[in-house]
Order: sequence, then C-alpha cells, then structure tokens
Amino acid sequence: MNIPDRLGRINRRMKRGFDFFVLGGYIFSILYAAAILIPLYFVIISAFKNNNQIILTPLALPTALNFSKFIEAQANVHLIHAGLISVGITSGAEVLTLLLAFPAAYAVARIQTRLASLVESIFSLGFLIPGLAILMPIYVMTAKAGLLYHPIALVILYPAFSLPLAMILLAGFMRKLPRELEESAVMDGGNVLQIIFYIFVPICLPGILTVLILNFINIWNEYLFALILMDSDNRTIQLALALLRANQRAVDFGLIAAGVLISMIPVYIVFIFFQDRIMSGMLAGAIKE
Amino acid sequence: MAISGSAVQIEKKALTNTEYGRRNARKRRVTFLFLVAPALVWFLSFMLWPLLNMFYISTTSWNELNLPKKFIFLDNFIRIFHDPKVAIGLHNTGIYLVAGILGIIPLAFMLGFFLSLRKPGYRILRTLFFSPSMLSVAALAMIFLGVYRPDGMLNSFLNAIGLSALTRIWLGDPSTALGALIAIDIWGGVGFNSVLFFAALASFPEELYEAAMLDGAGYWTILWKIAFPLMIDFIGLITILQFLGILSGAAYMILLTQGGPGTATFTLGYYLYDQAFLSHRLGYSQALGVVIFFVGIVVILLIRRVTARLSN
Repeated sequence: MNIPDRLGRINRRMKRGFDFFVLGGYIFSILYAAAILIPLYFVIISAFKNNNQIILTPLALPTALNFSKFIEAQANVHLIHAGLISVGITSGAEVLTLLLAFPAAYAVARIQTRLASLVESIFSLGFLIPGLAILMPIYVMTAKAGLLYHPIALVILYPAFSLPLAMILLAGFMRKLPRELEESAVMDGGNVLQIIFYIFVPICLPGILTVLILNFINIWNEYLFALILMDSDNRTIQLALALLRANQRAVDFGLIAAGVLISMIPVYIVFIFFQDRIMSGMLAGAIKE
Repeated sequence: MAISGSAVQIEKKALTNTEYGRRNARKRRVTFLFLVAPALVWFLSFMLWPLLNMFYISTTSWNELNLPKKFIFLDNFIRIFHDPKVAIGLHNTGIYLVAGILGIIPLAFMLGFFLSLRKPGYRILRTLFFSPSMLSVAALAMIFLGVYRPDGMLNSFLNAIGLSALTRIWLGDPSTALGALIAIDIWGGVGFNSVLFFAALASFPEELYEAAMLDGAGYWTILWKIAFPLMIDFIGLITILQFLGILSGAAYMILLTQGGPGTATFTLGYYLYDQAFLSHRLGYSQALGVVIFFVGIVVILLIRRVTARLSN
C-alpha cells in the first residue's frame, strides 16, 4: 500500500466519524457516569428533604430548601465543633509534614551521597505498610505516651503517614531544577538551611502546593486512626458523620445526608480548583510505590 | 589574551569545584543526615516501629492494655490454624479480593484507554470518574447506607421499573451483604484507576497509535495489541495497590455490617479489628496482622513475577 492510499484510509476513518469502539466507549462511560452521579445527587437532595419525601420520591428535587436536617445534625453530633477539630488537626499535620519532608527531600534530591537511595527506599516502604497492621501498636504507643483522646496524637501521627508521598513529590520536583541553583549560593557562603529556605522553598511552591492538597484530602478524610485514638470530645468530622447513624435507632437518612454534605464540601472545593494537580500527584504516588 | 584569560578562569573554577567536592564528601554526608534525620526518625517511630511491635505483640498473650503481656511464642499462630473464624475470614476476604480486582481493573483499563483517545468530552468524563475518590470511607459508607437500606434508593428504583421481586435488605441479607460492600469499592475504584491508566497511557507518544492506524488497525486491536503489552507492569502495580487496599480494609465492615449478618461480611481485616478493639485479645489480633502482612508480601511478589514474565 502506498502512502497516499494509507492516508486516504486514515482520513476515511476519521471522516466517517463512526466507530463501534468509540460508540461503545461513550455508552459505557455515560452509564458509569450516571452510576456515579445518581447516588451523589441522591445524597445532596436528601439533605434538604424530610424522611417521607426521601422514601416516596427519592430522586425528586426538594420542593423547598429545608435546612432543618443541618440544624438537627449540628445539635446531635456538634458538626461545627468536629469540623474545627478536623481543621486544627489537618493544619497542624500539614505544617509538620512540610517541616519534616522539605529538608529531607532536598537532601535526597540535591546532595550526592550513596545514602540517598537507601533513605528513599526506606520511605517507599511506607506504601507497603497497611494502616490496619499498625493500628493496634499505635494505639498502645499513644496510650503509653498519655496522648489517647488528644488531637495532638493525630497531629503527630498523620505526618508519618504523609511523609512517603510528600518526599516523592518534593524530591521529584527538586530533581528537575538546575544544578547551578545552589552552587552560586555556596560560592556566596550561604549555609544549607539558607539555601533551602531562601532558594528552594520559593521555587518549589508548586510542588509544596500539590503536597498540601493531597495531604489535606487524605487527612481530612481519615477515619480509622481517628476512630481509635479520639473520643467524643475530640471527634473529627468523619467520626461525627459516622455517629449520625449510630446515634439513631432507625436510620434518619436526611440527617446523615446533611452530615455527608457538610463533611465533603471542603474536599470538593479543593477538587474543583486543583483536580489536575490531584490526579498527577496521585499518579506519581502510585508509580513510585 | 582575553580568550586565554577566561580559559584560566574556567580552569580555576573547575579546580575549586573538584576540591570542594573532595574535601566536602564527609561534610556532605553530615549535612545529608542532619536534613534527613527528623523525617527519618518520625517515619521510623510511627511506621516501622509499630510494624515491628506488631510482630512482637503477636508472640504474646495480652488481654488488657494495663495487664502484663505473657510471652507465648508461636501459640497464637498455632491457634490461627485451628480457628474456624480464620477460615471464614479467609473465604470472605478471598471473594472480596477476586471480585473487587476483577470488577475494577479490566473496566478501569478499558475506560482509561478510551479516555486516552481524547474524544470530545473526555475531560468532563475524567472529572466525573475521579470524583468518588474524594469521598472518605465514612461518607461512602453513609451514602451507600441510603442506597441499600430497606426503603432506600436501590429498592425504590427496582420497584419503579417493575422489578419488585429483586428488592431485598441488601446489607441485612447474607447472600447480598458482601457483594453490596464490594460494589462500593467497584463503584469508586473503576473511576479512580481509569484516571490513573489514562494518565499512564497519555505519556505514550501519539505516533505509537498512528502507525498502527496507518496499517488499518482499529481501536480494539490497538487496545490489546499495543496499549496492553506496554502497560503490563503498570497494570500489575495498580493490581497490587488495589489488592493491598482490599486485603487490609475493614472500614465498611466497621461502619456498616460489623461482619454480619452472621458471618457474611466477616473478613480477615475485620477480624483483626474485632480482636484488637472489641474482644480485647491484643496478642491474637496482631498474629492476624502478621498473617495479613505476609499474605500481602507473597501476593506482591507473585504479581511481580507474573507481570515480569508477561512483559518479556
């Protein structure tokens, strides 16, 4: 087959614009998208309806914007208080993660020593350690340290879980930067902490942002360790949400839906603005396992 | 003159650089450790040390946090072999793993390939597919509580389309409870992994597909003859991550079924949680943890070997 012939074939294929594979792809994608959207839609509208409406007309839009379930959820499990606890824990853990990960990532990425690859592989072990396996030992450690039921325990703990991903993302970012960056600073007599703080932190802001966003999602959404280590006075937003069910004799789904909605709003706001960053960050984490 | 002058300067600079490098090899290592130490200590204390502790506690009989541990060496592991609940847990975990992985990976791969063709609308589809991954396990459990409960969304849907015969108490019926939990994982997992596959496939040069299309190959052929062989390692990796997630998962059981009804959703992961925090058999729970840990390692090595053989 000569080249014009081939091109003609491709052109025909393109022009025809019809392909069973593409059609099947669209059909399946749309079905799956619907399967994703319907439960989400169901939860969102249920938060504004009473229980009769939820059962009798599950997918109908609410007739009026009724916020009583939100007020009730707040009264039942103190959602606002739980939200503030979560904000506090998340912020503390974010700051601590960066303080620990940034210098370490700089060292791994920019200082030439054989130790670097060893340290890197130690951190990548983190992806293989299941949370469930260390749940009980961590509970014992926390109890021994006298930090059980104290939010500080989670502020200390979460950065350890975040470090492997934070290291990979930050070190990956720093490796792409030119060598000359610190050489000139070394000539000027700057020490390594100055180099990190004045040169690398400003340049790495995009990488820092990705780390902050992924950590925020993971920490805000964390359930298992919070369940074990916190009590009713210090419950995080996820614990409060789960409690909306446990506190009821019969399932009051409107109430639960209001809680789900409140708990997911911050993460979805971040998702809307930074979805490309989130996807590429999670991919980098998966690849470097 | 000017030229030789700058040459000398360059030589000087090169000299100072190598000198700098040699003299500072030791200093560099010290700086390295100084910078890495805090993160390393943190990671070792709260990840590796607890893991080692799991092994240690698994050799003890320990019933209360405040009571002393008694060293019993391998007795817990011997008990595991005779524990009928372990057999049940293994069975349910096995079903969960097989159904979860077969339900997620092939669909996610094909959807990821479809997205990577960048047909109109692929961006919005990608956003939609990824959006369930933003939900916490607690939120997912609560959403699906509303879907599965007796007068919930699924049953009203079945009633509405005239399939009332199929309605049931999804989480309360031993024949459907495990499947209902697996379906939550599939619901979100297909989308999440399809986006990962998309991102990995998008890194291939476009000419790869074009050459095949010039030869008249359709997308279906390209998917299986070009994309699939190139992606085998990545598929293995995603399978490993999915496997580990399910193997050490207990959240839906904790939040929704407590292992029930009966033992329908009683998995190994939930058994560990139950022994550690509900039944106060701390030593035994960690022996289960050790078993789960080694099952994970073995399967990782197995998947690695299979993908290595396939990609050769």
